[in-house]
Amino acid sequence: MLPVDRWVETVERAVTDGFDFFDFLSVVDEGEGRLSVVVHLWSLRGRGHLFLRTEADGLQVPSLAGVLPGAGWHEREAAEMFGLEFLGAPDPRPLLLPDGFDGHPLRKDFPLAARGVVEWPGAHEPTEHGPASRPPGRRRPAAAGVPDWAGQTEEDGTHG
Amino acid sequence: MAEPPPRSRGAIALREENCTVCMICVRECPDWCITIDGHAEHVPPEEGSAPNRRPRSTTVLDRFAIDFSLCMYCGICIETCPFDALFWATDYAYDAPGPRELIAEKGRLVDWLDGVLVPEPLDPGAEIAPEPARRRGRA
Repeated sequence: MLPVDRWVETVERAVTDGFDFFDFLSVVDEGEGRLSVVVHLWSLRGRGHLFLRTEADGLQVPSLAGVLPGAGWHEREAAEMFGLEFLGAPDPRPLLLPDGFDGHPLRKDFPLAARGVVEWPGAHEPTEHGPASRPPGRRRPAAAGVPDWAGQTEEDGTHG
Repeated sequence: MAEPPPRSRGAIALREENCTVCMICVRECPDWCITIDGHAEHVPPEEGSAPNRRPRSTTVLDRFAIDFSLCMYCGICIETCPFDALFWATDYAYDAPGPRELIAEKGRLVDWLDGVLVPEPLDPGAEIAPEPARRRGRA
């Protein structure tokens, strides 16, 4: 994990050292509000590749677009998907999300709307025939990522 | 055609007789792409067993389906299965005209067992995974 204040200079150094093919830039939601940025570079001559990673300072990280112009698009997508600000980015416009979209869909705490309208196959108990045969007090398994509004709570109210 | 490399992730094959309908793969799947159905069946008492023995029941697998339009090939179902019922198979050419046909039912999943590779030998000095706990009763 590189210190964020040396992020741009370290990537620039890697580029001048031969890792001059930019593959992608992405962000990892590490939880507890921590976001890290990953960049993947190739050296076509040296037939090697390099992953570099830094942790954002809060919700801010310096832009690599001055060093790797192609990273600009990746940063635009990362910014809207994770709510991260790329400082010094030449073009900070959103890339994919429609105007007025609320939230940052690739954050781990973003509710997965589709899970609210699709039935979780794991709720099925193959050997049970209706709620009557369910042993009382047994906890129902619950699925991850289901939004609160979806009313996951079962009729016996033991979801959790 | 070239041989598929070891650890190829093509289709997911099912060894039906190993499946106990425990639902663990269904519940661990991050994509919700596995559907299982089964039913309980009473097992007739064995010859010579005590006459007042409690009747035993076993769970029979009726349906096992993987929706490959949703599957992201993470392999969690294979890793998590406690009874070694799921395997990576090398088949990859199961494209379909639409998403409905990408749902592979039990018959196809079992057929894919033919494409499961024998695992590579362990690296020298590799730690051997502990044998999973046996079910109670006879081994």
